[in-house]
Amino acid sequence: MADAALQVRHLVKRYGPLVAVAGVSFDVARGEIFGILGPNGAGKTTTLEMIEGLRRPDEGTAVVDGVDVRTDPRGVRARIGVQLQEAGFFERLTVEETLTLFGSFHRRAAPAGTIIDRLQLGEKRRAWAGTLSGGQRQRLSIAVALVNDPPIMFLDEPTTGLDPQARRNLWEIIAGFRREGRTVVLTTHYMEEAERLCDRVAIMDHGRIVALDAPRALIREHTPGTTVAVTISGGDAALERLPGVRHVQHENGEALLSSTDPIQTVHALMDLNRQGDLHFHRLRVEEATLEDVFLHLTGRRLRE
Amino acid sequence: MRAFAITVLLFFKHYFRDRSSVFWGMIFPLLLMILIGLAFGRGENISFPVGLIDEGGGPVTQGLRQGLAQVAVFRLTEEENRSTALDALRRGRRTLVVIVPRFGSGEPIRVYYDQARVQDSRTALIILERFIAEANLRLAGVQPVLKVEATGVAAARQVRFFDFLLPGILAMTVMNSGLNGLTWVITEYRQRLVLKRVLATPVHPLVFLGGLITRYAATNLVQLAVIVLVAVFVFHATVVGSFWVLAGLALVGTLVFVGMGIAISTVSRTPESANLFGSALSFPMMFLAGTFWPREFMPAFLQPVISLLPLTPLVEVMRAVAARGEGVGPYLAGLLYLAGWGVIAFILAAWRFKWE
Repeated sequence: MADAALQVRHLVKRYGPLVAVAGVSFDVARGEIFGILGPNGAGKTTTLEMIEGLRRPDEGTAVVDGVDVRTDPRGVRARIGVQLQEAGFFERLTVEETLTLFGSFHRRAAPAGTIIDRLQLGEKRRAWAGTLSGGQRQRLSIAVALVNDPPIMFLDEPTTGLDPQARRNLWEIIAGFRREGRTVVLTTHYMEEAERLCDRVAIMDHGRIVALDAPRALIREHTPGTTVAVTISGGDAALERLPGVRHVQHENGEALLSSTDPIQTVHALMDLNRQGDLHFHRLRVEEATLEDVFLHLTGRRLRE
Repeated sequence: MRAFAITVLLFFKHYFRDRSSVFWGMIFPLLLMILIGLAFGRGENISFPVGLIDEGGGPVTQGLRQGLAQVAVFRLTEEENRSTALDALRRGRRTLVVIVPRFGSGEPIRVYYDQARVQDSRTALIILERFIAEANLRLAGVQPVLKVEATGVAAARQVRFFDFLLPGILAMTVMNSGLNGLTWVITEYRQRLVLKRVLATPVHPLVFLGGLITRYAATNLVQLAVIVLVAVFVFHATVVGSFWVLAGLALVGTLVFVGMGIAISTVSRTPESANLFGSALSFPMMFLAGTFWPREFMPAFLQPVISLLPLTPLVEVMRAVAARGEGVGPYLAGLLYLAGWGVIAFILAAWRFKWE
C-alpha cells in the first residue's frame, strides 16, 4: 500500500521465555477501520502498544503516518489518538478539565467543548471523572484520544465491560470516525463488533495473525458456509445428498447441515417433510460468524 | 510550557478537592500542635503543690511555714491530717507533703514525695532541703560566708512553647507531603494506568512530573501559611524570622522529601505498600528529629541516629529562623546534608522509575 496510514513489519516482543508477539505484519489503508480480533492474551494489546510507541519492539517496526516508531516514538504519539484499555483518569478533575489537561499535552488541541458534545458528555462536563459510569468513562477515554484531532486512532477494546446499549452507542461514534476520514485500528474479542464495524479484520492467536481479510471474506473462506439445523422426530433420508449440503453432523439431537445454498437445502427439507419421508419439528438457519472462523482456525472458542 | 502550567494549575485544584490531603496537610498538623501544646506547653512557670501538716504550732514552725510560703515555686496547702494529705499525694495533686513536728520533740521533719514523678519530686526536694539548711543556719545564728545570687540568662528573646513547636510542625508537614502524600499518589496513578495514559501523549514525561512536584511545592506553601496563621492568631505563637526565608526552606524541604517519595514509589508496587514504606520512615522521624520537643530529650545512644535523619537539619534551621530569628548561615552544613538526601533520592528515582 503506497499511501498506507500504517505499515507494520514483523513486530516481535518477548518477555523472558514468553513470546507475546511473534512477528506481526499488516498494512492499514487511510480511512479504514481495522480490527484485531483474538482472545485475551493473544498479543493484541502488546501489538498496539508497540505501534503507539509505548513499548519498544524487540524486532520489526511500524511506520505510522510516515513516521517510524522506532526512531521517533513521540512523533508518532503526536499524530495518533490513543485509547488505552482500562486506563484511569485523575479522579477529581472534571470531564472538561481532563480534556484541557490532555489537550495541553499536544501541540494543537481541539476545543474541549466540541469533543464533549461529540461524545455526548455534555451533561457530565462538570462532573468529576471519578464519578462517571462505565460507559461514560469509556467515552471520556475516547474523547481524550480525540483531543488532538488525530488522523489515526487506536482503540484498545473500546467496548469491553459495557452493557449492550452503551456498546451500540459507541459503535455509532466509531463509525462516525470513518465518515470523517479518520483511520481506526481497534482490538476486540467481540466477534459481532468486528463484523459490524471493521472493513478488515486480523485474527490473532498466540502472538500471530492467523487470518486477515474482510469479515465476509473470512467467513466465506474459513467456514463451511451456512448451517441448517433440523430436529428430526421420525423417518429417514440421505441428508448428505440434499442440494447444497456439503457435510452433515449430529449434535444434541440436531442434524447440522452445512450448506453452500441454504435456500435450496431448506426447500428440499420441506419437500421431504410434506412427502412424509422425514419428520422434524424444528428448523433453524444459522449464518456462520467470525466466531466460527476462529473456531475453525484455532480449534478453540474466542471467549473461553 | 503551557502543558506545565496547566498541569500545575489543575493538580492544585485537584488537591483542594481531596478532603484527605487537606486533612493531612492542614488539620492534622494543627491538631498535633494543639494536643502537644496542651500536654507540654502549659505555662513555663514551674510550681509544685506542697501539702503542709503543722503538728507543733510553736513559733519556730510558724516561721518555717511563713518561709515556705515565700518560696516562689511552692504552692502551699494546709492539710487537715496525714491520711488526706497522703491521699492527695497519691493522686498526683501534691508533689510533696511536709510534716513539721513539734519543735524540740526530736522528731525529724518528715517529707513524703511522689515516686511516680521522680523529676518533679526530686527538684522540689532539693529546693526544700536548701530551704531547711538555710533555716538551720539562721536558727543557729551563723552568718553565711558564701552567698549565691542566681541570675537567669534568658535568650535574646523568651521562646515560648508554641514558638518552639510551630517550626517543628511546619517541617513535619513538609516531610509528610513527600513521604506519605506523594508516595500514595504516584503509585496509585501508576496502578490505575493514569501515568501510562499520560505517557501515550507526546508530552515529555518530565514536564508532567515537574508539574506534579510544583503542585506539591505550591500546596505546601499554602498549608504552611494556614498553619502559621492559626498558630499566630489562635495560639499566639510568634515567628521572629523572615517568612520568605521560611518559605524558601519549605521549598528546599519539599523538593528533598518529594524526591524521597518518588524514590520510594519505585520500589513499591501498590499505594498501600508505598504508604507503609513512607510512614515507616516519616513516623520515627516525626518523634526523633526534635520536631515536637528538643532532641536532647532523647537518650544519648539515639543522638547519632538523630543526627543522620534528614528531617533533623530541616527542623533545626526552620526553628532557628522562626523562633530565634537567626539567619540560615550557621545551618548551611545541615542544609547541604539535607540536599544530599534529595540528590540521592532523585538519582534513585531517575534510575528506577517505572511508568506502569
